[in-house]
Amino acid sequence: MTPTLADPETISSKAKSPKETLKRYSGWLFVLPYLILFSLFLLTPLIYGFRLSLYKSELLSLSPPRFIGAGNYAEAFRDPYFWKAMTVTMRMMLLVTPITILTALGIAVGINSLPRKRQTFFRSAFFVPGMLTISVVGIVWRWFYSPEFGVFNAYLGAFGLRPPWLGNPAWATLAIVIMTVWWTVGGPMIILLAGLQNQPEQYLEAAALDGATAFQRFRFISLPLLRPVLLFTIILNVIGAFQIFGQTLLVTKGGPEFGTRTLVQYIYDTAFNNYRMGYASSMSWILFVVIGAFAVIQFRVLREK
Amino acid sequence: MSLERTELVVGEKRSPFLTWIAQGIMIFLALLFLMPILLIFVTGFKADAEIVRFTGILPHAPTLANFERVLQTPEEFPVFRWLLNSIFISSSVTLLVLTVDSLAAYGLARLNLPGKKWVFGLIVGTLMVPGQILLVPVYLILNRLGWLDTPLALIVPAGAGAFGVFLLHQFFVGIPRELEEAAALDGCSRLKIYWHVVLPLSRPALATLGLFTFIGSWNDFIGPLVFLDSSEKYTLPVGVAIFQSSFYTEYGLTLAASVLCTLPILIVFLLFQRNIVKGIAMTGLKD
Repeated sequence: MTPTLADPETISSKAKSPKETLKRYSGWLFVLPYLILFSLFLLTPLIYGFRLSLYKSELLSLSPPRFIGAGNYAEAFRDPYFWKAMTVTMRMMLLVTPITILTALGIAVGINSLPRKRQTFFRSAFFVPGMLTISVVGIVWRWFYSPEFGVFNAYLGAFGLRPPWLGNPAWATLAIVIMTVWWTVGGPMIILLAGLQNQPEQYLEAAALDGATAFQRFRFISLPLLRPVLLFTIILNVIGAFQIFGQTLLVTKGGPEFGTRTLVQYIYDTAFNNYRMGYASSMSWILFVVIGAFAVIQFRVLREK
Repeated sequence: MSLERTELVVGEKRSPFLTWIAQGIMIFLALLFLMPILLIFVTGFKADAEIVRFTGILPHAPTLANFERVLQTPEEFPVFRWLLNSIFISSSVTLLVLTVDSLAAYGLARLNLPGKKWVFGLIVGTLMVPGQILLVPVYLILNRLGWLDTPLALIVPAGAGAFGVFLLHQFFVGIPRELEEAAALDGCSRLKIYWHVVLPLSRPALATLGLFTFIGSWNDFIGPLVFLDSSEKYTLPVGVAIFQSSFYTEYGLTLAASVLCTLPILIVFLLFQRNIVKGIAMTGLKD
């Protein structure tokens, strides 16, 4: 995007009249409306949020916000609820991301093996859960998981199984993971499918002529070619998994024993139930840094190989 | 074109038996994925007694009672009002995003603006910012503006996202210069070129962005949960969640409310699934 000699506008504008210069600058008017919104509701909150994290700022307290430096960050590192929420978040991410991506990949490969005419239906079928709002998803899955009235136990009961779906932290975590995979698998599936269909045919044909089996063609040709797309979906999914909130708020309320309260939910509780805005902001920034670090590490590790 | 060749390769190596097994598994999985949605719709027509003792997917004695009750509780649960709020907010957000983002993307992609490289870099850089970390500061800013508990709180901040500017910028950059130059020679102003040349050529990208924005706004749960207070201002997703916490075990009622919340978006999806799917595929293939 650097101006090159071939760009006539760039050369001429240097020596042009004030009128031309004015015209060049006035083009910014097109960008201005967006820039106002961008500054007010993206840049400002970003900086303001960081500043806030350095203050003891409590909406319900009578004393005005007070600068405490890294005090909120220090509190977070001592706060057992923070660590609990961080552990829950990590655990969710470590379960949700691999399961979602592997399921998405499996479905994408499955759809790709079907005749093109039939693919549209399947693509939509696996994607449509993601079209629902989280509150509807929450209502349905709460009902599914209900020990007495639930659909799952109605079927599993026939085999004498009655898992306490939301009754203890381990089962509740599993329950959240299952519904999250169902809800979010469509996006990565579509991206991976497009990646598969974008691959040059020649390689696969050549391999087929050399007698490679379908599995070998996938393992040694499709999968390596898919690497950048796979990396993209994994990073996107990790960023999303770190921010799981609606599911736990609506289905488990973070329980039992805070066993499913994610970091974003703890931040929400801190800010909007206890009105401790400074402390909530510091935890937001910790989350931001953790997400950023994970993205960079993944990018390095998966790129290198 | 290339699709016959693929099938040739695949068909050559695979026995028809395996192909049938693969298709069978895919159909089974697809039905499994669709089942929860089917159940929302079907169960809304069941009486509570039948829901509580789950004996089969389809209702034995279909009834409209749940829907009637949902629509007849306007006092604390103005479902119809929530529907109107949702339509108003999502449409406004979509209009705002399309207008502001396409103007900005035109400027950044097609005009020779001094310093635009830096500004575009800054905008794209914020794509990495997870939305949740802005929740608290945006809440405080809205509080200072006096916009909390008004539709403005959900509409205006939604125009700040960088995704649309990025998407349209990438599309606008690909439009051939000659069309623009011809229009300029005819004496068209930049605003006219934007309106008569760039926008009409960008319908697919605008449609994709419009759909994503509308669906995202319609389904937004955390925004209205945090920024709105009075129940008559709620959007459907928050209204339905509140509904559920009040009619805890009345599954029929909450599912009927869920149907009303889901139906519009499913219709949008069915009408535009091609654009939606293509749009998502596009985001993944841009390296």
